[in-house]
Amino acid sequence: MGKEESPQVTRRTTRSSSSAANLDNVAEKTKAKDPPPPTLNDLLFGEEKPITLDDLLSSFPGRRVQILELLRILGPVNCPMLPVFIYGGTSTGKTSIILRIFAHLNRPFVYSSCLTCYSPRILFESVLDQLLLHRKSAANGYSSAKRCERPSDFVNFLREALTSILCNLQGNSGNLRSKKLEGQANGHMIYLIFDNLELVREWIKSNTMLPFLFNLYDILKMPEVGVIFISNTSPDTYYSCMGYVEPTPVYFPDYTEDNLRQIFMRNQSNKKLYSSFLDIVLKPFCRVTRRLDELSTAFSLLYKKYCEPLSDQGIVPNEDMKRRLFSQLQPHIASSLNEIFRVISLPSAEVGATKKPKRKDTTRKSGGCEVPDQLDFHMSTSAKYLLISAFLASRNPATLDASLFDSTGGSDSRKRKRKPSEKSKEHKETAEQESLMKGPGTFPLERLLAIFQCITSVAADEEEQENDGLGIQAGDNSLMSDVLLQLSSLCNASLIVKGGSCPLDGSTRYRSTVCEDMTLQVARSLKFPLSKYLYRG
Amino acid sequence: MGRENPAAEEALCLLRSRLCDPNFIFKPLSDSPDSNYSKLKFMISSSITEACNNSVLLLGPRGSGKVAVLELVLRDLLLEYPDMISVIKLSGLLHSEDVCAFKEIARQLCVENQLLFSKMASFDDNSQFMIAMLRECGLAHKTIVFVLDEFDLFAQGKQRLLYSLLDAMQSVTSQAVVIGVSCRLDADQLLEKRVRSRFSHRKLLFLPPSSEDLQRLMEHILSLPIDSSLPQDYAVEFNAKLQNVLADKRFKVIIDTYMNSDSTANHLLGFLFRAVSNMKLENGFLTLENFEAALSNVQRQPKLESLKDCSIVELYILVCMKRLEVKEQNSYNFNSMMKEYKSIHDSLRTPDYYSRSVCLRAFEHLLQRELISFTDKRGQNQSVEFHPVKLLVSFHELHQGLKSYRSCPAILQKLMAG
Amino acid sequence: MEMAVNSVSPSEFDSSTPPESSEKNLQPFFILHKASSRSSHRRRIHLSPSKSVIKTDDLLLRMEAFQSVWSEIHSASKDVLRDINTSAFNDIYHWVRQSFHAITSYGMPGFGQATRSFPLLTHATSKQLFTGLVLTKNMEFVDDLLTFEELGLCLKSHGCHVANLSSTDFSAKNGIGGCLRSLLRQFLMVSLDAADMSILASWYREQGNYNSPLIVIVDDMERCCPSILSVFILTLSEWVVKIPIILIMGVATTLDAPRNILPSNVLQQLCPCKFVLGSPAERMDAVLEAALLRQCSMFCIGHKVAVFLRNYFLNQDGTVTSFIRALKIACAQHFYMEPLSFMAGALFEEDNQGFQGERNVLLEGMLKYASELSSPDSDTRAEQIDTTLTCRLRELKRLQKCWSSIVLCLYEAGKHKIRLLDIFCEALDPEAYNSVASDNHTGLGKGFGISTPSDPSMRQQCFTMRKGGFICQAIQKVRLLPEASLSQLLKSWENLTVDIYEIHDKVKELQSMVKLEEGRISKEDLTDICILCSNDRRHASWRRLNIESSKRINEKAASLIDCMVRDFLRPIECLPFHEIGCFRNVEKLQLALIGDPRRRVQLDLLEFHKILWCSCCSRSCNIPLPSMPDTSIMYTLAQEHGDLINLPEWFQSFKTIISHISTKGKRKTKQSMLPKKTKYINESEDKSEASIQARFCRAVTELQITGLIRMPTKRRPDCVQRVAFGL
Repeated sequence: MGKEESPQVTRRTTRSSSSAANLDNVAEKTKAKDPPPPTLNDLLFGEEKPITLDDLLSSFPGRRVQILELLRILGPVNCPMLPVFIYGGTSTGKTSIILRIFAHLNRPFVYSSCLTCYSPRILFESVLDQLLLHRKSAANGYSSAKRCERPSDFVNFLREALTSILCNLQGNSGNLRSKKLEGQANGHMIYLIFDNLELVREWIKSNTMLPFLFNLYDILKMPEVGVIFISNTSPDTYYSCMGYVEPTPVYFPDYTEDNLRQIFMRNQSNKKLYSSFLDIVLKPFCRVTRRLDELSTAFSLLYKKYCEPLSDQGIVPNEDMKRRLFSQLQPHIASSLNEIFRVISLPSAEVGATKKPKRKDTTRKSGGCEVPDQLDFHMSTSAKYLLISAFLASRNPATLDASLFDSTGGSDSRKRKRKPSEKSKEHKETAEQESLMKGPGTFPLERLLAIFQCITSVAADEEEQENDGLGIQAGDNSLMSDVLLQLSSLCNASLIVKGGSCPLDGSTRYRSTVCEDMTLQVARSLKFPLSKYLYRG
Repeated sequence: MGRENPAAEEALCLLRSRLCDPNFIFKPLSDSPDSNYSKLKFMISSSITEACNNSVLLLGPRGSGKVAVLELVLRDLLLEYPDMISVIKLSGLLHSEDVCAFKEIARQLCVENQLLFSKMASFDDNSQFMIAMLRECGLAHKTIVFVLDEFDLFAQGKQRLLYSLLDAMQSVTSQAVVIGVSCRLDADQLLEKRVRSRFSHRKLLFLPPSSEDLQRLMEHILSLPIDSSLPQDYAVEFNAKLQNVLADKRFKVIIDTYMNSDSTANHLLGFLFRAVSNMKLENGFLTLENFEAALSNVQRQPKLESLKDCSIVELYILVCMKRLEVKEQNSYNFNSMMKEYKSIHDSLRTPDYYSRSVCLRAFEHLLQRELISFTDKRGQNQSVEFHPVKLLVSFHELHQGLKSYRSCPAILQKLMAG
Repeated sequence: MEMAVNSVSPSEFDSSTPPESSEKNLQPFFILHKASSRSSHRRRIHLSPSKSVIKTDDLLLRMEAFQSVWSEIHSASKDVLRDINTSAFNDIYHWVRQSFHAITSYGMPGFGQATRSFPLLTHATSKQLFTGLVLTKNMEFVDDLLTFEELGLCLKSHGCHVANLSSTDFSAKNGIGGCLRSLLRQFLMVSLDAADMSILASWYREQGNYNSPLIVIVDDMERCCPSILSVFILTLSEWVVKIPIILIMGVATTLDAPRNILPSNVLQQLCPCKFVLGSPAERMDAVLEAALLRQCSMFCIGHKVAVFLRNYFLNQDGTVTSFIRALKIACAQHFYMEPLSFMAGALFEEDNQGFQGERNVLLEGMLKYASELSSPDSDTRAEQIDTTLTCRLRELKRLQKCWSSIVLCLYEAGKHKIRLLDIFCEALDPEAYNSVASDNHTGLGKGFGISTPSDPSMRQQCFTMRKGGFICQAIQKVRLLPEASLSQLLKSWENLTVDIYEIHDKVKELQSMVKLEEGRISKEDLTDICILCSNDRRHASWRRLNIESSKRINEKAASLIDCMVRDFLRPIECLPFHEIGCFRNVEKLQLALIGDPRRRVQLDLLEFHKILWCSCCSRSCNIPLPSMPDTSIMYTLAQEHGDLINLPEWFQSFKTIISHISTKGKRKTKQSMLPKKTKYINESEDKSEASIQARFCRAVTELQITGLIRMPTKRRPDCVQRVAFGL
């Protein structure tokens, strides 16, 4: 989740890395195989010292309101709470803020993300494992503490686990009254956090799972347990599986433009330079997306471009330098505004220095842009013909096949094609609408093979005209031979997909998914007159 | 945390724990003689004393305190008739399928009667065990109260549990009460004939509290006890301020605006909870601002919020789809949307015209925000762009969203209008 | 379909050719099934016992010759295929190291944090998953199955943990659990029913192996179920901070594939980097070079075979695997059928131990050779064979060596522009050679003398003057080559032509000339500098002179390669005794490779008399006769219909044809017994009626079973659809 790189985090990571270091040089000599056995403190966030409120607020720009709201809802130590439902777009810092808050409050909690726990069983078991302080390891064969698949079993286990944990905690807090222990849990309440809740809707058991989760608090009837849900989507998207009292909502809006600026400005080495960079890029990009992750990937590359002409990064840019930098960054901005997925191909040395983005990224479904003239992967000739014929079968209406592919190889198909073009305008429009809606049409195997045969025969007698020194005599007539093999391998490469079977007769139907550009490439590589056979409504 | 005002904090804890404890909430609603509480209590106690079988349905909207009242009744009865009742609680959410329902029953019976429960027991074992226990308890003049929460969920499927329960209750020896709790008023219509014929059609209807009930309820919940660990003067002052707030006109307005969407007690609780948690610990008194803030916190308009989150491109897409719908295109997908987008761009040179891929990403963002959705379950081999979609926001909402959007381009407004 | 091949084609050949050769036709199948012993056993049945003994033992001789030769070829091709990938693999490993450092630069979490359920809060970009997209430039996936295994092994050898997943793990049925399970099975060596990433994390921590990345290789991205793949990627990206996972995906088609398959929020998590494997064409050339040209195992293929293989590669399936398979079949067939082929083995052995060891074998071979030599011109010289033979064979070998090295020289010349396969085919073409050779020079077609052919210009024409011939293109390229690459070319030639003395010397002197040129140019550059060129005219003249000189050298080189082609590029089929090592039988290879079952089935149905050899209907070319088998009648009739065949019409026409004979029969009965004929007739009538229907139905079912027609659909209950194609 969001880019909440806070001073604490850096400190923590350094500390943890050092700990990792000494842990694995322990691993060299003495047995580091068995880690320290899990204790109650594993339910805490795991800071030595809880962070102060100010640190918390300062480390999340533009989130002050939400943090305070959450703190109020969680309330002071040991006072019960109703279930909370935190929602907001991706990378708005939901998860990290709630975790940080718990680090700040230093209260025990159980976190389980429905992305990692992709099924009810795994979700249940991960919750139970954390509560029972059980850690999967080679010793226990990576099995979880309790095996439970049903919600009913889960509730029973959960009750046991919670009660045991809670009395432990009360014991702690008992002696915590007497003397404040370092790193001890605060209070004797425990919070269950369910992240990525929106994914549960796609589960098979979702219609029972979601009401169960939402009702968990009422079912348990344990005031010492707080339940927190985190979801990408707003509560009204769960109404389909209603059947619970709505938890109290907390909303995380997307970052505004100046929030983003603050966030990006945090822990930058050369703030002046970066702010001048942001002046250029931030506004145009925010028109496209305000998602932190997308922006940060785009910016990280752009900033390198921006800094390239500079000798030292520590320089404080003056106006005309800014202007120059801007002028030479301009084209890159335009390009990277329109791309979502850049594939770098690294020739050698350290990554990043010699990144050259592939300039075909503007085509996702290759929506019409420059394409290399020849096909850049190998296909056998018959596969190419098969691809073309599949393309034709998907694009042309089946009724025109007879006219397009008669023995004369579509030579007279022109005047046949004139007839539909004389059709009335609105009919054409509807047809076009149809094609927009339905996309490439499906076709039975027979039609594909028929077209294939026509094409290849035409190509064959064209070959006869110019038959260069190495006779192709073995070639064309045997193009037909293992055409079904070719078809299957085309399907494997997902250039042709098996559509659903036709409702009337059970035969499976196919659909070609290749775009026109690629088909044109193929046709060019075969010197095949594709346009002659393509019916344009 | 600020421990600067211990009394306020203690008060806060007290209020919150009250809000989280339904038994406390529904106490005052249950003392009047014609309340559901007394009816239910009378029914169960009579069936205990007369050692007869009985069954009843508690119906009412969600959060109207059915279970809470039932809990109260059972608690009191357990005090009145010690070791003459054993309560078995099932929830339709957990035990809707018969196997684990019987298993759960057997488990709870074992816990009740200090018997050893075997996980390995089969379905038949458990059901026979239940029948046997019913007979035994009947002979011992011990009433078993079965509480079936989410009763309607038990009614789906083959209803074997209900049947075998009610069937066992036909015999004179057995002595049991089956209490079904459901928020579906037609719950008994869901029963099969063989089950319904064995079911006594006694129903208790739980209605949402009236406005004066609500008033009493809020006083009951929010006012601090004078005789407690709390400093008395603080409590008194607190209650006085509370009275002022409750008496306030604006407060009435707030409550009405809130409750007219859903006037059940639990709904109120959510509101009060936010209000209470909004209480400032510095001064430690509930103020009207707390309630106003709570209202804004609780009453959300998700669609408008996510419209505010949209980027310009996403707004463009939404507007294009709206225009398509205005043109009575019965169904449309990404491609037709793009066509519209392009035509708009061609007609009046908009500054932001982006590549297809970027638009597709924005389109997927909208899908994630659930501002748009596929019209039907999308087939596996049909890609996103061809799949028909529909708007999930009304034109009005969209219009509002555009108006409230900061720095919304004027073109969009115009396009939206015409 | 396999059914169809094995059942139909041999039977057909039984009829067309004498039985013994039909045995040979069966061989490809047997050898494919590694049943050579069985096949030899079968031979013994047909031949007279005395002969069969000899046959079998020289068969065994040939078989072990095959073993040795083929093992050589096979290992060579395997090695070269491995070497092709090494550079790409090294790049990948380099990139893996870098990305691993990039991941760990965020700070390696300790045990506690890594195994904790909640995510570590770090940089937003730290959730990005380093992803290598490996472009296997081939739509067919067969060649790359091995490639990715080897990639995995290579990375393992560098100490990474590797798991190879394939598209079967990403099936919608098993869901995300399926691929996680197989992931854990490969990393942890345990199989769990509830697999999740936390297990992987704790395992990774337990092993104390913090300084090696986990690498997940997905062989074929296009085939994976998109939804599962995207969920998998999201899951990995959630854990990538705790477990340094690096993803490598094989992309068969283009870089658009991931864009088309994955939604944008998944693409967002990838930090992709592309690698390119060798294209199948390059692999082909490498394999060809290694297998047939580099090391002279006496086995080689004739022109027709080469062309066929080339077309097969281009048209049918462009996989190196199938090419090697084809080579193996050819090799096996050659050694099986060519009586002299064992000598190839012997000659091949000769490289290893001296020729003397094999001599006796050879002589014995000679006797048989004299008896049943298949080359046209040998019988005349039968007596002087054994004296001169060994040197002849050496000669043959030498010539073949020369030939291959010249071909390689040409390949070097036309590198990266002209495919070796093309040059190879063209260089093998005997017509091009003989067309000119035969008319002016008598001895050449069969000529034993290594008489350096007179009138070279003509022959040179035949290769180089052919319009668009690849060889002459190569020579053209030599003319236009810039100096630096020219010297490189010469160096490579020098290496290639070590054992062709005359050429070697020529190359050497050319090289020296080039050196001298360079020396002069550099020197004169110095002079240019020291005379800081006052008058540029003189300077220009110098330059021109340089250019001319370099041109001159290019000309020399071109003429050199010309004369190489002229003198030494003698197609193997024009050499004496080529039968020993050269496989020329295209038909059998084609039969083995392209069964083309559907076509054959239809052919046999139409031209069944070629198989049956029945007198009655061999004369009738295509008019269906009652005496034909029902199926072929039906099929011949079906030819008249479109691809929808109306059943009633079909039945009617079928009935009319059949009923000829029945009427004939009737007439016969009429003459024979006059009384109670009516009853007889009509009973025979309805009997024949019923039987005709029965036969019709059976024929239809047979046609359906052979996959030529499809049964009536609900839409058109009275029509069968023909699936017939390939004719």
